[in-house]
Amino acid sequence: MTFVISGDCCSDASCVAVCPMNSIHPAPGEPGFGTGASLFVDPRTCIDCGACADICPVDAAKPADRSAPADVERNAAYFADREPLEATDLDTWEPVSYQVWGGGPRRVLVVGAGPAGMYATRELLLRTTAEITVVDRSEHLGGLVRFGVAPDHPQTKQIIDTFERLVRHPRVHWRPRTDAAALRSGGGRGSDGRGLPDGYDAVVHAIGARRSRRLGIAGEDTACTAENFVAWYNGRPDAPPPPALVGPGAVVVGNGNVALDIARLLLSDEEQLRRTDLVPDVRRTLAASGIKKVVLLGRRGPDQAAYTEPALRELLAVAGDRVELRYQARPTAWTSAGLTLDSGEVIAAGNLFTAIGFEGRPVDGLPFDAERGIVPNVRGAVVGRPGHYVAGWIKRGARGGIGVNKACAQETVMTLVSSSRGAASPGS
Amino acid sequence: MDLTAERLLGSASRLSRDPETEIDWDAPVGDGYGMSPEWSTLYGTPYWDELSEEQQRELTRHESASTATTGIWFEMILQQLILRDIYDKPARSPEFQWALTEIADECRHSIMFAKATTRLVDPAYRPRLLARELGRMFKTVATGETAYAAILVAEEVLDVMQRDWMRDNRVEPLVRTVNHIHVVEESRHMVFAREETRERLAGAGRGRRWVSALVIAIAADMIVSSMVGREVYVNAGLDVDRAVREARQNEHHRSLLRTSCANLMDFLGSVGLLTPAASRVYRRTGLL
Ligand SMILES: Cc1cc2nc3c(=O)[nH]c(=O)nc-3n(C[C@H](O)[C@H](O)[C@H](O)COP(=O)(O)OP(=O)(O)OC[C@H]3O[C@@H](n4cnc5c(N)ncnc54)[C@H](O)[C@@H]3O)c2cc1C
Ligand code: SF4
Ligand code: SF4
Repeated sequence: MTFVISGDCCSDASCVAVCPMNSIHPAPGEPGFGTGASLFVDPRTCIDCGACADICPVDAAKPADRSAPADVERNAAYFADREPLEATDLDTWEPVSYQVWGGGPRRVLVVGAGPAGMYATRELLLRTTAEITVVDRSEHLGGLVRFGVAPDHPQTKQIIDTFERLVRHPRVHWRPRTDAAALRSGGGRGSDGRGLPDGYDAVVHAIGARRSRRLGIAGEDTACTAENFVAWYNGRPDAPPPPALVGPGAVVVGNGNVALDIARLLLSDEEQLRRTDLVPDVRRTLAASGIKKVVLLGRRGPDQAAYTEPALRELLAVAGDRVELRYQARPTAWTSAGLTLDSGEVIAAGNLFTAIGFEGRPVDGLPFDAERGIVPNVRGAVVGRPGHYVAGWIKRGARGGIGVNKACAQETVMTLVSSSRGAASPGS
Repeated sequence: MDLTAERLLGSASRLSRDPETEIDWDAPVGDGYGMSPEWSTLYGTPYWDELSEEQQRELTRHESASTATTGIWFEMILQQLILRDIYDKPARSPEFQWALTEIADECRHSIMFAKATTRLVDPAYRPRLLARELGRMFKTVATGETAYAAILVAEEVLDVMQRDWMRDNRVEPLVRTVNHIHVVEESRHMVFAREETRERLAGAGRGRRWVSALVIAIAADMIVSSMVGREVYVNAGLDVDRAVREARQNEHHRSLLRTSCANLMDFLGSVGLLTPAASRVYRRTGLL
């Protein structure tokens, strides 16, 4: 027997740090970390100590006898053509690296209480003695974990408990319902001439990338974006109501896990919906939609699809043959008759959902790379704006699961701390 | 609980390590660092920069030996706590058998640490008198979550340090091996301690939780502050007053400690043991 990691894993790598046998991969820094959806346990070296399960914030690590056979299979398969790492040969472990203390900032502002902002806060608490102010324009922390992650994945949302403990730390000042714009002094040019809000030594912008990318086809305005639909079914207070759901057919354009989330929820029956923590209104609307069939449209082939295998498996388990996967298809127009493809074919459907990715918005006073939808940065430091840092989706683009933001925020805080240290510190 | 215990017993049968046979105790010991230099209480201070590399290495060997001695001290407390806890439990239960397995592990670890420190440095270390006396009291009276959470605190702090040292090729190979043996077996002990703590706390009222949280925090303070004492600097040939003063203000060291306790604090928070009073103690000790 061994432990295995399921598809619920959000890759925060907490387990990697506690595994005494170096059995969990890919670890941060190893090839493949942050690109796949989850991590894997090497059954050849795992000794069943259970430390990974104990620490996992989303209960994704489990003993094999309590896991789905497909998960056991996936874990074993990942290592099939890799040499086992011999934990007793201590040189096979990642070498240690240290960040040396050197004064650190006194006050830091973190904008955005999604995963990136909260992991940055945690790292700041560990690495510095700074007082940290966390603001979010929402009333709640969690960002897309609360208002993005599908409501039938309550385990994934458990990480919010950890975030909530962080804002109760005595050195953290949590200010919900505060837009970053309200803190900017003198139109983005503070008295220090660096554009920092008064009294802060550094700002970490972790505002995410919420806006849905557009297809750019005729009739798109009456389609529903993932941004809006996801916010609605997660009960975000300011989410616009979706267009009327019209059965029996719907099209979801996109080939990532978000597209799969939408298709899965559209095709869940009443019984399945009841087991989620959907607000009653949304549940009733979904159950009454009359949508019986969903076509999932991908621009490229199945090999290039961005969804993960466990997510696909889950969709097929819920939907069976009511979902049709179409690849190599490019939509050209959307009308009440349906979606026209570049081949001329029309897929009859009452609703169109677009889930082809997200992009960031420019931040006032900071440079912006419109091509990639990010604030240009070097290891988290905003280019040409000393004192300003970015973390999460606004730093890397809208890719990667919740946990990947941890390594990302760690990198940013490391940059922040070393630049606040100056050159003359000991040991560096 | 029995389910966890059963799994842990299975794990132990899959891999337990015997320092007696696994380590060649007669092999000559080199002059490597006793711990990763970054973990020295003086690393990052002006005093550290004034020391020669040889002095730095010597200091880390003493600090490492002193820390291991704190480990032995605490493992003795722990063995008694567990023995008392299972005194009248049914011997056939996995929980009982696991508890004895853990005691056996700890016993082997203590011997291993004792031998390793002998090989590393000449002087012998002991926790200071106050800690020893408080420990004596604690092992006689602590029960339930207080006992198990205190075990957890001690083991977690040690654990994170040792993981760093075992991977660090500047560290003396003997220390690296000893640390890995400890890390492997300790991971099971921590799983057990967490499970017991959770279980004992289920249904605990606010008053009891408040008291337990505070007692655990004070125990943590005692453990952490006992790891490196004045004699370490004396034996390493340093200016003791200056070393103590700079070590006390060493934010780099405090930051490493906070990092090593992060998982622990998450756990304590999740089971409601981070009360305001306890948090104040942890902040003063530098763990939060
Ligand atoms: C629909 C969907 C489902 C997903 N499901 C999963 C999943 O199941 N598992 C998984 O691992 N990952 C999932 N992800 C990915 C994961 O959510 C992201 O990796 C992560 O949320 C990115 O973190 P972030 O902090 O960069 O951004 P966000 O989570 O977007 O957080 C940004 C925060 O900043 C705040 N903010 C923005 N602008 C301002 C401003 N001007 N002033 C103040 N505050 C502001 C926002 O309110 C928000 O709270 C999903 C993503 C989406 C879109
Ligand atoms: S969520 Fe984190 S702790 Fe859990 S299995 Fe995935 S990487 Fe490991
Ligand atoms: S059970 Fe233990 S050895 Fe196995 S993967 Fe988890 S932490 Fe590592």
